[in-house]
Amino acid sequence: MATEYALRMGDGKRIFLSKEKILEELEAGSADAADLGEIPTLSGNEIDKVAEILMMPGKTVSVEQGMEVPVTHDIGTLRIDGDQGNSGVGIPSSRLVGCMMHERAFGADTMELGHIDYSYKPVKPVISNECQAMEVCQQNMIVPLFYGAMPNMGLYYTPDGPFENPGDLMKAFKIQEAWDSMEHSAEHLTRDTIWIMQKLMASGSDGVNFDTIGAAGDGDFFGSLHAIEALRKEFPNIYIEAGMAGECVLGMHGELKYDGTTLAGLWPHQQAPLAAKAGASVFGPVCNTNTSKTSPWNLGRAVTFMKAAVKASTIPCHVDMGMGVGGIPMLETPPIDAVTRASKAMVEIAGVDGI
Amino acid sequence: MGMPISHIMASGMTGIRAAGDLVARMEFSKKMRIGEAKEYVAKKLGVESMDLSDEHVMRELREELDIGVITSVAGAAKGIAAKMNIEKLLDTKINSCDLFRKQIA
Amino acid sequence: MASKEELIQELTDAIISCKKDRVLEAVEKAKGVMEPSEIIEKGLAAGMNEVGTLFERGKLFLPHVMMAADAMTAGVQVLEAEMPAGEQKKKMGVIVNGTVEGDVHDIGKSIVSTMLQSAGFEVHDIGRDVPIRDFVNKAKEVNADMIGLSALMTTTLPGQKEVIELLKEEGMRDRVKVMVGGAPATQAWADKISADCYAENASEAVAKAKELIVKK
Repeated sequence: MATEYALRMGDGKRIFLSKEKILEELEAGSADAADLGEIPTLSGNEIDKVAEILMMPGKTVSVEQGMEVPVTHDIGTLRIDGDQGNSGVGIPSSRLVGCMMHERAFGADTMELGHIDYSYKPVKPVISNECQAMEVCQQNMIVPLFYGAMPNMGLYYTPDGPFENPGDLMKAFKIQEAWDSMEHSAEHLTRDTIWIMQKLMASGSDGVNFDTIGAAGDGDFFGSLHAIEALRKEFPNIYIEAGMAGECVLGMHGELKYDGTTLAGLWPHQQAPLAAKAGASVFGPVCNTNTSKTSPWNLGRAVTFMKAAVKASTIPCHVDMGMGVGGIPMLETPPIDAVTRASKAMVEIAGVDGI
Repeated sequence: MGMPISHIMASGMTGIRAAGDLVARMEFSKKMRIGEAKEYVAKKLGVESMDLSDEHVMRELREELDIGVITSVAGAAKGIAAKMNIEKLLDTKINSCDLFRKQIA
Repeated sequence: MASKEELIQELTDAIISCKKDRVLEAVEKAKGVMEPSEIIEKGLAAGMNEVGTLFERGKLFLPHVMMAADAMTAGVQVLEAEMPAGEQKKKMGVIVNGTVEGDVHDIGKSIVSTMLQSAGFEVHDIGRDVPIRDFVNKAKEVNADMIGLSALMTTTLPGQKEVIELLKEEGMRDRVKVMVGGAPATQAWADKISADCYAENASEAVAKAKELIVKK
C-alpha cells in the first residue's frame, strides 16, 4: 500500500492522501485558478515543490533561512482582549498591552490598532478614544503601527445606514435605484474613511489598513480606491495597506470603473495594479478556501492566484493568510500543520513580499 | 492567536527580535519589494540580507544602533526615541516622530 | 428557416445578453417551430443556467442576472398565454431565506436570494438577524418547500440547528427542506445538524435547491 500523508480538508478535518493523490489535487486546484483567472497554472516543478512541502514529516514547517518576509498583523490588539464571534481569546488587557505583546513577545513585524466594531463607520462617534489609544501606542512602540478597519459599505444600507438596501431593490427589479444607492454609499464610505484617517494621522499613526475591501462588492472597492487616492494625496508619506475581502470582486453594481477598468469580476492579479494606481503601499490579495476540497487542492489554487498577483503587482504583496483564506482551513483554530505549510508555500513558490 | 504566531514562526522576520520592523518600514514607506527592501536595510546596517532575520546578529546590532531591543537595557531608547534613531538609520520619515518634534518645538 | 438548434442557441444567447427585447424577439421566432414548453426549458432556462455560471465566474454581475431574469419572465409570460391551462409552467418551489438571529451579515444571503429568484423559485427573503421562530412562522404562512439559513459567525451558527429543532417540534420537518450556508458552515456541520444540504456559494445553492425541491 502506498504511503499516505496526514493532511486536511478545507474545513480542517484530518485526511490521509497518497503522493499520487496529492499531486492530482494540486494540479486540479491550480487548473481551477488558471481557468477562472485566465492565468498560468503552476509548472510541474512548482507542483512538485508544493507537494514536497505538504509531505514534510514535521508537524510544523518553515521557510528556508534567508527567505523570511515581514508578517503584518491586523486586528491583533483586539484578539487578546476581544471576541468578534470568530476570533479573539478574551484575556482582559488594554489595546496597548495587545500591541506591545505582539511587538515584544510574539515577534510581529507590524501591528494594527483597531476598534472592536472593526468597521470605519462606527469609529466616527468614538474617534477621540481611538486617537488617544493611537498616541499612547505610538509613544511606546517601535514596529510600524497602522490604524485599521473594514470599509464595510453594507453599513451604509438600511437598516444600518441611510441608503436603501440595494439587495432588496435589485430583487424588486429596481436596478437604477440600486445603482444610485450603491454610488451614494460609496461616496459616504470614502468621506468617512478620509475623515477618520485625518484624525488618526494627526495622532501619529504610521498609516492605514483597509481590511477586507470589496466585502460589499464593487461599490466597496470603488469607495476604498477613492479613499486611498485622497489619503495618498493629502499624506504623501502615509503607509497604506489595501487588503481584499475575497478573490473575485463581487459585481453588485457591475458598471463602476476605476482608471477606466470595470471593477466587478476582477481577480487578484487584476486588482493589484488598481490598488497601486490609487496609491496603496502594499496590496493584500486573497484566495478563498473551499471547505469541501482538500488542502492540496486549496493550496494549489491559492498559490496559483497569488503567484499571478505578485507578478502583476508593482507594489509589495502581503497575501491574506487568515482563517479560510490563502489555503488555510476555515476553522476558528486552524491546524498549525496546515498554517505553516501554506505559509511556506506562499513565500517560496508564490514569492509574496509578506503575509 | 495561534495562527498569526504560527505564521511568524514559519515565515516572519520576528519584528524587533531581529530586523523585521525595518524591512517592513521600507516596503511600506518606499513601496520596495521584499528583495529590494532587505538589500536596502542590510546595506544601511552593514550586514548581509540573511542577517536581518538572525537574532544573534541583530540583538547586539540593535543595541549598538540604539533602535530598540526587547530585553531591558538601562538607558536604551524605546518607543519614539528608538524610532527617531530608525529614521536616521534608514533615511526615512516616521509620522509619530514628526508629531513628537512638532510637540516639543 | 432556422433550425431548432439555431433557435435554441438564439434563445440562450438572448437571455445571456440580458435584453428583454432580444428575448421576446427570439421567442416570437421560435414559436412557430417549437412547443412553448420546449422554448422555456431548452432555450430560456438553459440561458439562465449559463447566466448563473457566468456570474460565478465573475463575467456577469448581479444587475445583469436580474435583467436576464426579468427578460426570461417576459418571455415565459408570452408563451404561457398560448399554453393550455394544465401545461403552464409550474412554480419551481417556495423558499424562505434569511440570516439567523444575532448575525447582521446580509450580502451573501441576499445574493443567494437573488440567484434563487432568478432561477424561478418564489423567494421570501426575511432579512438578517431573524429570530428563530420567524423562519418557521414564515414557512407556515407561505407554505414553503425549503428554508435557507445563513450564518457568518461561529457564534451564530447554532441558530441554524435551532431552526431545524423548531421545525421538528412543530411537526414540519418532513415537508420543509433545510439548506445551510455562510463562511463557517460546512458539509460536516450540515450533516451534524441534519440539514438537507450545504451550499458553498450562490450557484451551488441554486443547483442544490433544484435537486432537493424537484425531487421532493
